[in-house]
This record gives sequence, structure tokens and C-alpha cells, in this order.
Amino acid sequence: MTTAARDILMPAEWRDFWALTKPRVMSLVVFTALCGLLAAPGHIHPIIAFTAILCIALGAGACGALNQWYEADVDAKMARTSRRPLPAGRMDREAALHFGIGLAAFSVGIMGVAVNWLSAGLLAFSIFFYSIVYTIWLKPNTPQNIVIGGAAGAFPPVIGWAAVTGDVTLLPVLLFAIIFLWTPPHFWALALFMKTDYGAAGIPMLPNVKGQRVTRNQIFGYTFPMAGAAILPFFLGESGWLYGITSMLLSGIFLVLAFRVWQNEATDAAAMKPEKQLFAFSILYLFLLFALFAFDRMVIA
Amino acid sequence: MTQPEHAPYTVEETALIRKRQAARSRIMGVALVGLCILFFLITVVKVGVWG
Repeated sequence: MTTAARDILMPAEWRDFWALTKPRVMSLVVFTALCGLLAAPGHIHPIIAFTAILCIALGAGACGALNQWYEADVDAKMARTSRRPLPAGRMDREAALHFGIGLAAFSVGIMGVAVNWLSAGLLAFSIFFYSIVYTIWLKPNTPQNIVIGGAAGAFPPVIGWAAVTGDVTLLPVLLFAIIFLWTPPHFWALALFMKTDYGAAGIPMLPNVKGQRVTRNQIFGYTFPMAGAAILPFFLGESGWLYGITSMLLSGIFLVLAFRVWQNEATDAAAMKPEKQLFAFSILYLFLLFALFAFDRMVIA
Repeated sequence: MTQPEHAPYTVEETALIRKRQAARSRIMGVALVGLCILFFLITVVKVGVWG
């Protein structure tokens, strides 16, 4: 019996279950959900607010587990993901599936009972959308996978908002739009300098299917509506000057970086400095934008 | 009854299994205690004891 065969018979470590939840993705989900919750008008008891954020975090963890369960074979082909618990043989797939379904059912159930059923319904739909529509349907079949799939990552601030107000108005839809329109430039910048990896796994990312020129055009093109959505809350009178000025400044920097990506003709990952800069800045952009929006709204309130 | 197809575990492997089981049990215990406290607090908030 090989060592690998014996390893699979060992019970997985708790760290492997933790890794299944994609903690880094979860942290961004928790952050945007918290900003949506803090920006919403009205009052929510801190215990209920904590429960809402916990349920959103567990729902995100369920998405990560179900995604890794389904993509174990694909993950094994990419250097970036080959050391995850399933492709590395530290856990059997059935355990990951049960863990994901358990987390999903638990998070939606508690959200419904403790917070409200609208936020529970949105959470359930976002888990379904990420696990089924994105992971199983879109990702392996279309280079537009992350455009529509980005909707799954855009739900957390809406769920956070709905947890407080019990409804969904224009402002949470705008928060949704910001993340939805931010996702293509963010992921395609990564896909440009990680092209070889995605190609090896047979995932039809835009650079592999349509080429780098089309990808760079799309990145630059999506940046304009994204910047518009980011600035719109200020012009609608839903935020103060602090958010208004900083959102314009940050969006301006994003546009400049996206323009440099659009200008770049490099085909070698080593020469893709603008793409790497845009990817790094895009994370900072979303973090600052949402933090300032929540702070600004709290100051106004 | 069908026997498992793997060979018996060595002493080292058995010790590793026990260690992993103990660690998982501790995490599960902490999580369950945390949830008990959370459900208690949710109940208190819902019935309006704290206004």
C-alpha cells in the first residue's frame, strides 16, 4: 500500500476543514457584509448583528467547501491549488461534500430563525449561485464565467443590509453593482499573469480563449461602469463628501492602472507589472471603498 | 461483514489518528459551547429581556 493510499484513510485534521472554507475569501466576504450591515439605516442588536455576520461567514465557508469538493481534479492540475486538502489527498471528497452541505444548511437556518428570512433567502440563493451556477455550470464552460459568477461575491453587502432593514433598496443594489463590476478587472488581471496555470487545468479563462488583447480591452471597459457605480452613491446624496472625494480619487487611480494594462502588450508574465499592480490595487480599492462608505454612512447617521 | 482493505495501522499511525481525533474533538467542543452561548443570547434578545 502506498503512503498516499494510507494517508487518505487517516482522519483529516481540523486545519484541513478550515482550509476548505477558503479563509482569505471568507475574510473579504465578512468585511463587505459588515460594511453593508453598518451602512444600513436602522438599528440591529449587536448579538443579532454578530449572528448575521457569522451566518454569512459560514455560508461563504460552505461555498468554499462545495467549490473544492467539485473542483478537486481541476485543483490538482494547478500549482496554486494543488496543495489544498482534497488534491493533496489529506481528505476524502465525501467529507468535504458533507461539510459544505452542513455549513450551508446550518448558516441559512440560523440566519432565518435569528435574523430574518429575507437575508436567509438571499444567503441561500448566493450559496446556490456560487456552488451550482458558477462552479458547476459557468466556470468550466464559458470565458464569461467570472462576469456572471461575480454576482455570488456581490451578495454579502446586500445580505448585511437586509439583516438590518428586512428589505433591499437602491443603495444595497449599488453596493452589489460595485463588486459585480469590480470582479472582471480584478480576476482577469490575475488570469493574465496566471494564464499558464489556468490553461493547464483546462479552465476557459478569457486570456486562454479570446487572447490577451481582448482581455485587456475588457478590463479597461469594465473599469468605467465600476467607477460610475462607486461614485453614484455620492451623487444620489446617499453619502457624504468623505466618501464622495475618496471614491473619485480611488476610482481615478483604478482607471489609470487599468489604462496601463490596456496599453501593455507583454505576453510574458514577468513583464506584466501593470497587471500585477492592478490586481494588488483592486483588493485595496474594494477594502477602502467599502470601509469609507460604511464610516461615512455611520457619521451621517 | 466486509473487512477494510487497508493493512492494520502501525503504532505511530494509531498515535497520529488519536492525536487528530482529539484535536477535532476539542474544536468541536469549543464550537458547541460557543453555539450554546450564542443561542442563549439570541433567545434573550428575541424575548426582549434586554429591551
